[in-house]
Amino acid sequence: MITFSSVWKTYAKEITAKAHTALGGVSFSLANGETLGLIGANGAGKSTCIKLVMDFIRPDQGSITVFDDQPRNHLLRRRIGYLPETASFPANLTVLDMLRYTGATCQMPPKAIRDKGAKLLTRLNLWEARKRPLRDYSKGMQQRANFAIALLHDPELLILDEPMSGLDPIGRADILALILELKQQGRSILFCSHILEDVDRVAGRVLLLHQGKSLFEGAPAALCEQTGRATLADGFLKLVQGENVHAA
Amino acid sequence: MPHKFRRILALARLLVLDGLRRHALLGLIALSLAAEAGGLLFFDFVSRDIGRASSDFVISIAWITGFIFLFFHAVQVMALDEERRVIYSLVARPISRGEYVLGIFTGLAFLLFLLNFLLGGLGLGTLLLIKGMVAPVYFSHLSLGAFLLAWTGLFTMQLMLLAVILLFSGLIRGNFPVLLVSLSFYAICSGLPVVRESVAQKMTASVDLARLSKLLLGLTAVFPDFHRLDFKNFIVAADSFPSLDLLLTGFGLALAYTTIFLWLAAVVYQRRDLQ
Repeated sequence: MITFSSVWKTYAKEITAKAHTALGGVSFSLANGETLGLIGANGAGKSTCIKLVMDFIRPDQGSITVFDDQPRNHLLRRRIGYLPETASFPANLTVLDMLRYTGATCQMPPKAIRDKGAKLLTRLNLWEARKRPLRDYSKGMQQRANFAIALLHDPELLILDEPMSGLDPIGRADILALILELKQQGRSILFCSHILEDVDRVAGRVLLLHQGKSLFEGAPAALCEQTGRATLADGFLKLVQGENVHAA
Repeated sequence: MPHKFRRILALARLLVLDGLRRHALLGLIALSLAAEAGGLLFFDFVSRDIGRASSDFVISIAWITGFIFLFFHAVQVMALDEERRVIYSLVARPISRGEYVLGIFTGLAFLLFLLNFLLGGLGLGTLLLIKGMVAPVYFSHLSLGAFLLAWTGLFTMQLMLLAVILLFSGLIRGNFPVLLVSLSFYAICSGLPVVRESVAQKMTASVDLARLSKLLLGLTAVFPDFHRLDFKNFIVAADSFPSLDLLLTGFGLALAYTTIFLWLAAVVYQRRDLQ
């Protein structure tokens, strides 16, 4: 479903910043029905991978295919549901406006947009707030609104950028339950998260990135075994700290 | 093709809805309507040529309002898009970057049209009222056709500027730099015809000036002359209407410029990282 092959991405030099290599020859793949978690410290390259899949940015070297096609083909995104890290909407719009926009761009009939939208908003406890501007939503509500928008067109592939970011424990539990439900439905999920406990519960495989390089790709249990640690978090720390020592 | 239009119109609809709900924009419209209605006071202070003064005033209010809309709201919508990452929420859907550019342009153009429709309607009403209140010698002639033509010229100029702002938003990051560059572009477009006229008058005196004149002529290919579309003087002119050649040249060039700027904006957005 997604194939990254020796992908390099460098952010160009600016007046206030040096050139920065975000990804250095990263390769991975996501098969149909799989859940892959991207884990890593801040600046590891997780969001860069997601932006490359979504064609927000383009690779300097290497190749990326999504559904056996180039990410530049915008029609691919009819099969992708994207949840951004930071919910950003035009200030005065409602979730209904964004749902109509999503449905229209995905060529859904107006009745289907209304019916599916109502179902999702009810499921995500947003029906009562559907006419309020999105800027008035709490962080948890915005995240759920994002989910509703991402799921409206029944995508085969879900790309979730820090889905639990900024949520309280109740919000996290809600979103986690939703992701597990989507996983059980057989959707392919690529997500990145700092919360390794959640990644361990959800992901079938993980890709550990550190300073633009891939340190590990495989099942969480395999990472624990390789590092001799009991939990994914401890295994992650050992690998990353080992890499830092090696680099020093 | 119909699906492309549906996507473009879907994005345009979002922008229209967002704009119509912005209190700042609604305030701008209310202020402009009040200012236009204030034109009724003119006949108390202007004894001669009240027709020309009033029509100039009405068109100027509309121009300033459009100016504020373009350089504050339009620049903010496009440039802040990337800083606030709203653009990610929009292009994460199956819409190409070219369609995104056209959708943004269509939405903002429709808002501009609504603004001009309201101001034009009230402006015409104000002029008719003033004409009815003063003696014919002060306001002898008011042409509806010329009024509509003047307003169409104004709207066309605004669309050209909108296309320019779209292009600069693609090239430059940040709404303040886009605002500065767009204002500078407008200032050059406004000043270039004056400089050309001045140089033309002194041209016989020097060979260097002849070269300068050619250079300035070449620059009009990049910095269009907005005054070609300024038809406000015909509103109160008796039995006078611009020739067909003048109209075709003016509007034809405006259409060409707008198309080229939009095409360039689409190319820029297509190639750049949205970062």
